Amino acid sequence: MIGTVPKRIKEIRFGLISPKEYRKMSVTRVITADTYDDDGFPIEMGLMDPKMGVIDPGLRCKTCGGRAGECPGHFGHVELIAPVVHVGFAKLIRKILRATCKDCSALLLDSTQKKEYLEQIRMLRTIGQPIEDITNEVFKEARKPKTCQYCSAQQLDIKVEKPSTYVEKDGTHEHKLMPSDIRARFEKITDDDIEVMGMDPSVARPEWTIMTVLPVPPVTMRPSITLESGQRSEDDLTHKLVDIIRINQRFQENREAGAPQLIIEDLWELLQYHVTTFIDNAVSGVPPARHRSGRPLKTLSQRLKGKEGRFRGSLSGKRVNFSARTVISPDPNLSISEVGVPLTMAMELSIPVNVTKRNIEEVREYIKRGPDNHPGANYVIRDDNRRLKVTDKNCEELAETLEIGWKVDRQLKNGDVILFNRQPSLHRMSIMAHEVKVLPHKTFRLNPAVCPPYNADFDGDEMNMHVLQTEEARAEAKMLIHVQENILSPRFGGPIIGGIHDHISGMYMLTKGENRLDKNDFLEMLRKSRISQIIEPEGTQDGKPYWTGKQVFSQILPDGLNMTYKALLCENCATCKKEDCNRDAYVTIRDGQLLSGTIDEKAVGAFKGLILDRIVKDYTPPVALQFIDDMTRLAIRSIMHFGFSFGINDEDIPEEASAQISELLEDAEARVMDLIIAFNEGNLEPLPGRTVAETLELRIMQELGKARDSTGDIAGNYLGLDNAAVIMAVSGARGSMLNLTQMAGCVGQQAVRGERIRRGYAGRTLSNFNHGDLGAGAHGFVKSSYKKGLSPTEYFFHAIGGREGLVDTAVRTSQSGYLQRRLVNALQDLEVQYDGTVRDTRGMVVQFKYGEDGVDPMKSDYSKPQTIRRIIEDVTGKEVE
Amino acid sequence: MSRAYFTRENIVRHHIDSFNDFLDYGLQKVIKEQGTIETDIEDTYVRLGEIRVGKPTVKEADGAQDLLYPNDGRLRNITYSAPLFLEMTIVKGETENEPVEAVIGQLPIMLMSKCCNLAEMTHEEMVGVGEDPLDPGGYFIVNGTERVLMTLEDLAPNKIFADFEVRYGDRIEVAKVFSERRGYRALVVVERGRKSIVEVSFPAISGRLSFITLMRSMGVETDEDIVNMVSDNPEVIKFMLENLEEAEVHTIEEAMEKVGSRVAAGQTKEYQIKRANYVIDRYLLPHLGNDPAHRTVKAQYLARMAESCFELALGRRQPDDKDHYANKRLKLSGDLMEDLFRVSFNRLARDVKYQLERANMRNRDLNVVTVVRADVLTERLAHPLATGNWVGGRAGVSQLLDRIDYMAALSHLRRVISPLSRAQPHFEARDLHPTQWGRICPSETPEGPNCGLVKNFAQMVEISTEVYDLKGLKQTLYNLGVEHVAPQIMGLEETPITYATELEAIEQSAEYNNTDEGGDSFE
Repeated sequence: MIGTVPKRIKEIRFGLISPKEYRKMSVTRVITADTYDDDGFPIEMGLMDPKMGVIDPGLRCKTCGGRAGECPGHFGHVELIAPVVHVGFAKLIRKILRATCKDCSALLLDSTQKKEYLEQIRMLRTIGQPIEDITNEVFKEARKPKTCQYCSAQQLDIKVEKPSTYVEKDGTHEHKLMPSDIRARFEKITDDDIEVMGMDPSVARPEWTIMTVLPVPPVTMRPSITLESGQRSEDDLTHKLVDIIRINQRFQENREAGAPQLIIEDLWELLQYHVTTFIDNAVSGVPPARHRSGRPLKTLSQRLKGKEGRFRGSLSGKRVNFSARTVISPDPNLSISEVGVPLTMAMELSIPVNVTKRNIEEVREYIKRGPDNHPGANYVIRDDNRRLKVTDKNCEELAETLEIGWKVDRQLKNGDVILFNRQPSLHRMSIMAHEVKVLPHKTFRLNPAVCPPYNADFDGDEMNMHVLQTEEARAEAKMLIHVQENILSPRFGGPIIGGIHDHISGMYMLTKGENRLDKNDFLEMLRKSRISQIIEPEGTQDGKPYWTGKQVFSQILPDGLNMTYKALLCENCATCKKEDCNRDAYVTIRDGQLLSGTIDEKAVGAFKGLILDRIVKDYTPPVALQFIDDMTRLAIRSIMHFGFSFGINDEDIPEEASAQISELLEDAEARVMDLIIAFNEGNLEPLPGRTVAETLELRIMQELGKARDSTGDIAGNYLGLDNAAVIMAVSGARGSMLNLTQMAGCVGQQAVRGERIRRGYAGRTLSNFNHGDLGAGAHGFVKSSYKKGLSPTEYFFHAIGGREGLVDTAVRTSQSGYLQRRLVNALQDLEVQYDGTVRDTRGMVVQFKYGEDGVDPMKSDYSKPQTIRRIIEDVTGKEVE
Repeated sequence: MSRAYFTRENIVRHHIDSFNDFLDYGLQKVIKEQGTIETDIEDTYVRLGEIRVGKPTVKEADGAQDLLYPNDGRLRNITYSAPLFLEMTIVKGETENEPVEAVIGQLPIMLMSKCCNLAEMTHEEMVGVGEDPLDPGGYFIVNGTERVLMTLEDLAPNKIFADFEVRYGDRIEVAKVFSERRGYRALVVVERGRKSIVEVSFPAISGRLSFITLMRSMGVETDEDIVNMVSDNPEVIKFMLENLEEAEVHTIEEAMEKVGSRVAAGQTKEYQIKRANYVIDRYLLPHLGNDPAHRTVKAQYLARMAESCFELALGRRQPDDKDHYANKRLKLSGDLMEDLFRVSFNRLARDVKYQLERANMRNRDLNVVTVVRADVLTERLAHPLATGNWVGGRAGVSQLLDRIDYMAALSHLRRVISPLSRAQPHFEARDLHPTQWGRICPSETPEGPNCGLVKNFAQMVEISTEVYDLKGLKQTLYNLGVEHVAPQIMGLEETPITYATELEAIEQSAEYNNTDEGGDSFE
C-alpha cells in the first residue's frame, strides 16, 4: 500500500466535462463494438479493452498493471460522428436556446440588466446562498424580447418535442434544430453571458451539454459474467454501448458514402436514442430500451436512482458481514450484559486474531480443534495475505506451521464483545454491547430485564448481532455502549434497565411486612447471588432462628447506601406516619440495610427504580449491573417461594359487592336522567365558556366516570391486598386498578375522540334505542364488567371504543417513524464539542451550551434538582424537606 | 338461530346472488346499451340480440369439448369459464341477414353460481368430481388459481352530500354528488362561496361556473322560476336574490354562449354552442339522462343541491355523515363483472367493426361468426381476474383465495374493502360506525395500516340486489302515501317517518326487497 499524506477537502465544485477533458481522461478510444476474440481474450480498442481495467482473474490491467480487484478501472471514449444532446440537460438547453439570440448568441438582456443580475449572483455566491431565484428570473426576462438588442435579428419560437428535439417555429414554417446547430450557437455565447445565466464558464460551458465524445465507463463497473454453460453474458451497460458504437459506425459509413439527408437524419435520431437510453432509460416519451428477453435495461440513471439505487441502497443502506439474526427468547439465568448465542452461529462467526509471541500457543490450540469443534478456527491468513480455510484434514498441519505475524479467524466464544440490536433503532439503547455466552439451541437468549431498552418481547421478535472485528471497536464498544454503561436513559435521567413484571411482584411479596424465613429458605433465596456469608438472624421462633424478607433484600444492596422515600403503594395520607405506615410504604435504607418499607416498581423497576438510580449514580456501573443481576435472581427465587397465580376466580366478588355496585350504577344513571331532565326543561346551568349541550355532555361524562371509579373502589376493597391482581397493580408489576375495575366492577364509558358515542342513525346511535335518547346506555356506557359479560349493545359500543385505539396505534407508529426520520436527518451532524458548545460540521455554533444549561440529562435526577438536597442529607444525616 | 340460518343460506350467498344477477340481467343490459355495432361501410351495421351463457367447458387439444369441473381447472391450470353466445344480425340497408348465434368469448364462471356445473349437484356427486361438498364457492378459477372478487365499499352514487369545506381559510358549504351512469362517474359540486354566490363544477369544465348561468342554460330562464326551483324559504330566497343580482346572463341564449365560452374557449361561436349543448347533456348529472329532454330534471336536481348548501349555511341541516352505512354502496362480484364486461365488450365491438371493414375491403361475404374473434373478449375478461388490475385502474380487486384454513377462506369471501387510501389517517372512516350494526362485524378488522378500512360482513348480513322493476317500486311507495312532486325527486315526506315496517310486510308478500341498506327515512 502506498502511504498517503492526509488531505482535507476544502470545497467541491460541480461542472461539466468538456470533450477535451473526456479525451484526456480516456485511456483508449473505442472503435469496435466487439468484446472478446475467439480465444476469449479482450479485443484491443474494443469495449473490453484491457486498458480500461480487467475483470478476469490472472490478467493485468494494461494501464496501471493491477490485477482484477486491485485495478479500479479506467475510462475510455467513443468519438461520436455527430453531436447529440445529453438528456440530463434537455431542460437547460431549452432555457438557454430561448434566452439567447439565434444569430449572435447574445443573452437577450440589456447590458445594465446583465450587470445587475451578475452583481446579485456574485453577492449570493459569496454568502453561500442559492442563486436559483436570480437565474430563473434571468431566463424568464431574456425570453421576452422579440428581437435581439445587439444584432436586431428576429427571434423565433422554440418548441420542444419529446425529450430532446428542438424545433424553431417561424410562422407556419418549422425548422428542426440539429444538435450541431445548437452546439454552434452555444459556442458563441460569451463568458460574461454564461455567468449571468448562473454558470461558471471555466468549468461549465453550455456547449458541453451537447456531447461529441462519449465516455466509456471502465470494464470494472460493467463486468460480464460467465454462465455455467461457459457462455459470457454482458452487462446492460455494455449492451447499450454496443448499440451506440454500431450506430455510430453505420452513421459514419453512410455519411462518407454520401447517403441522402433523410437517412442521415434517421441515423442521427437513432444515435440520439441510444445515447439517451444509455444515460437514462426511463425518460418519458422515449420507449425504454429492452433486453432480448423484453426486460428494460438498467442503465446509468437506474443504477443511481431510487430505493435500491447506489445512494439509498448501497451507500446509506449497506449490508454487512459478521452479523446474525434470529428469534429471541428469555433466560433469566443470564446476566443482563450477556446474550445467549446459538452454538451453530458461534461456529460460523469469527474474530480475527493477530498471532503474537504471547498468544501463539492459544491460537494454535484453536486451529488444532478445527472448524467443527467449538472454540476452533475457521481461517488462517498467512503473512502474504493468503487466506487458508481450516478443515478437519489440514488443521493439525496448519497448527504446526503457524507463525507469528499471521492472522487467524477464531470462532466466537464466551466473553467476546458483540453488538446486539433490535429494530426500530429509535434511541441509542437500541444497540448495546453484550458478552457472548454460547448456548445450545437456535435462539438468542437474553435476560428479560434488558427488554425495556430494546422494547423487545418474546412473541416472535427477532434481533441482530454484529461481531466486532478490531480491537479498537471492541474497546470502544466496551467503554461506551456496554449494557452497564446504558442502564440510565438519557431521555429522563433514570434507569431504563431494571426489574419488570415478576421481578417486581417477587420483590414486593418478599419485602412486604415481616416475612419470616428459616435458614433453608434464606439460603435458597440467595443461592443464585454472590452472597457468601450468613448474617445474624433477626430473631428466633419456636427455637429456630429466622430471617426477614427485608434482611434478605438487604444482602444484595451495596454497603453505605442511604435512602428514604415513599413507595408506589403510598396512599398520600394527610400526615405521613413514616416508619409506622400501615401499608409499609415508607422506605428507609441505612448503610445498605432495608429498615422499613416495601420494595416495588418505584424501587427497582425499569423507568422508575429509585434504588437502582441511586446505585448507578453513586456507585459504579459494574456495581449496578451486579445489583440488577442479583435483584432479578432473588425476585425470581422469591416469587417461586411464595407462589403466584391469577385466574378468573380472582375476579370474583361477593354478592353484596355486586349489589352495591349495581345500586351505585343505578344511582348514577338516575343522576344522569336528572341532568337530562334539567337539560330538557332548560334548567341546566351552562359551565363557563360552554353551551348547555356541551355542559350536559361534560356533566354526564363526569358523573359516569365517578360511578365507574367508585365501583372500582368497591371491587378493590372486597378483593383485598392479597389478591394477585391487586398485588400486581399496587406493586406496579403489571396492570392497574383501572384494569381491575373493568374486570370486576364496571367497564365504564366508551369514548371516541374524547366524547361519548353519538354518531349513527338520525337522532340515535343504534336502532335499539329511542330517538333522542340521551341516557347513559344509549351513548356507550357499559354497566357490566368483563367478568359478568357485556350485553350486545354494550359489546358493540365497546368495539367502537376499541377500534379507535387500534386505529390510533396503527396511525401513530407510521407517523412517529416519519417524524423520527426527519429529526435524525436534521440533527445527525450536530456534535457536542469539548468546550460544551453544540456545532454543526462547519463549526457553526448551534447552542453555546449543550441544552442551554450544559446538563447531561442522563446524569440528571429525572431532570429535577435533587443533587444538592441529597448532598445535604448525606452530610447531615437528616432528612430535608 | 345461527344453525337455522346457515342451513338455509349459503355463507357466500352475496357473491353468488350478485353473479347470478349479472348472468340474468347484467349481461343483457350491457348488450342493450351497446345495441348495434355501427360500421363505416355504407348502410351496414350489426344488430345485437340475446346473449346466452353456456356451461363451463374445456376444449381439448384434439378439439373435443368436455364439461369442465372446477378441480380439473385447478389441477390443469386452466380457467373455469363458459362460452358466451350472442345473437347477431348483419343489417345491410334494407336487407337483413339471418340472425346468427356466435361464440363471442369465454366468461369465467363463479363456483356454485347458476352456470356452474356444481350448482345442482348432490354431495355425493360433488365428491365424485373431486369437489369438497362443504366448499362454499363464490370465487373464480383463472389459470388454475382461485380468485376472489373483493367486495368494494363506495360512497353511494347519485346521492347528494352536503358538507363544509375550507377554501383559502373561509368555510364554505358544498353539495356533492357522484353521478353515475353506465360505469361513467361524474362528480358534480355545487358550492356556496364567499358573498353567498353559488357556483357549480362538473367534468368537462375547468374551474367553476355560476349557478344562475347554468340554470338559465338549461332552460330555466326567469328569476322567479329559478328561485321557486330552489326553495320557498324566505331566508334562502334572500340568498338567491343576491345571486340573481350578480347574474352574468339573463337569457337562455346568453347563458348558452357563456357556457360555450367555458367549455370550448378560443373556438368559433357555432362550435362553442354546439359543444355547450353536448356537455350539458353528457357531462352534467349524467344519471338523470343524456337527452335535452332531461334538462328540466337536471335543473331541478341542481336547484336541490343549491338548497342543501343554503340550508347547511343557515344551520337548518347538519352535514351528511359520509360514513353512515346508508350512504355506502357495496360493489359485489356481479357489479364488478358488469363493469369489466362492459369495457371488454366495447373492445370486442370495436374489433368486430374493424374485422367487418377489413372483410368488406377484401370483398368477402360478411359473416358474423368468422368476424368475431372470441379470444379478444376471453383475454380481456380473464386478465383482470388473474391480476386484480380492474378496469378504471383499480388494483387488488381480485385476490388469491386465502386457503390457510377453512375459516380464512370463508372470511376472505366475506371481506369488504374500502377504496380510501391507507396512507392517510382518515380517522372517521376507520371508526366502527353504529350503522354497521348487523351488517359489518364489529371485531374483525386487521391491525396496522388497513385497520378499519378492510372489513368483514356480520354473520347474518343479507345483501339486496338491484331492483329492476322501478315502476313497481315507485307505485308501492306512492301507495304508501308518498306524494308526487317532480319526476326525479319522486316524493317528499314532511315528517321523516319510517316505512320500514310497511315495506317489510310488502317484501314478504312481494318479490323485491329494498330495506337492507339502512333505509331509515325516505326524503
